[in-house]
Amino acid sequence: MKSTITTLLAFFTLFFAFGQDNKAFTAGESLTFSASFKIAGILTDIAEVKMQTSEIKTSSSALLRLKCTASTYSNFDSFFKIRDLYESYVNPRTITPYLYNREISEGGYYKYVKYKYNHKTNLVNSLIRKKSKNIKSGFWDRKNDVKINSGTRDIVSTIYKLRTLDIKKATIGASDTFTVLFDNKETKFSFKLLEKETINTAIGKKECYKLAINLIGSSVLKGSNSNILWLTADENKIPVYAKFAVAVGSGELKIKSATGLKN
Amino acid sequence: MRKASIIFGFIFAILAVILAVLPLYKFAFIPAILAFVLGVLVFIKSKKEGLSTHTIQIIFLLTIIALGLATYKAVFSTTEVGDTEQLEQREKESEEKSIEELEDLDLDFE
Repeated sequence: MKSTITTLLAFFTLFFAFGQDNKAFTAGESLTFSASFKIAGILTDIAEVKMQTSEIKTSSSALLRLKCTASTYSNFDSFFKIRDLYESYVNPRTITPYLYNREISEGGYYKYVKYKYNHKTNLVNSLIRKKSKNIKSGFWDRKNDVKINSGTRDIVSTIYKLRTLDIKKATIGASDTFTVLFDNKETKFSFKLLEKETINTAIGKKECYKLAINLIGSSVLKGSNSNILWLTADENKIPVYAKFAVAVGSGELKIKSATGLKN
Repeated sequence: MRKASIIFGFIFAILAVILAVLPLYKFAFIPAILAFVLGVLVFIKSKKEGLSTHTIQIIFLLTIIALGLATYKAVFSTTEVGDTEQLEQREKESEEKSIEELEDLDLDFE
């Protein structure tokens, strides 16, 4: 009996809870961040990151468009211009993605990725497009059908899905794993609740959930607790601050403004 | 020793000027301070030994230019996003295309 209760408790505390309805955000939300990178120990602001939501209507249903853009600041444009667009079209209630677009333009490098999800067959119709001088059209296309596990999401919908979880019920040390499809490969991310912490941000002093992010089976993210995300400990669960450590260095993402919040 | 200090002083001073011109102007302060310290050391040594201080003056001049430019940029430059017109255009086109594609997809959530 004791072991059954322990198992049940462990189950509920280990996982934040799947299948949560979205109470954290709605269409019209706009979050602006400043991304900085540590070069020779000095943090330098390099780009602005925006996360916006809007409603999209098709003839049969209404979806939520989750859009993330990254643009380098003007003083960096002449050296390394970044204009990235990531977007995911999702079910507004469950944040299940149906279509994902990623179009990156980074210092002359261009890549376009499109995923069309079929959740009945667990297949993703993927298109990867790159620039090529050898092809007449100027673009090299690769089309694939990728088999995914149920619950696999793209990176954008995963970030937003994280906000819909009932973190207040989770205990310190609880963790959850998400499978993210990136470059046609399924990658597992784990999120661990480290503690509750009050931090000063551009939108005020906020009590936050401090979450450690780890990439399972990959060395892209460095350190065990070096990649940390602070989500406000309210119903909105806004990502206000993030610290990341990658192979080429480390950096930060700080919120500048937040408008159109649901709660 | 004096020669080596002058060479390193020059290298640091030029590096400081280059960094001050680039967006990484915050880093110009490090080589500028090093160039200044080396410049002062060589200046004192040269004065004691009664040697020429002309080259050292150039190090000081470059250091002042680098420090002035980096300080000006640190105080007055604002971090603004450059031209995003193309990106906005891409966003719009992507939305229009996506709506067309979503119409063809089996959206089973309602």
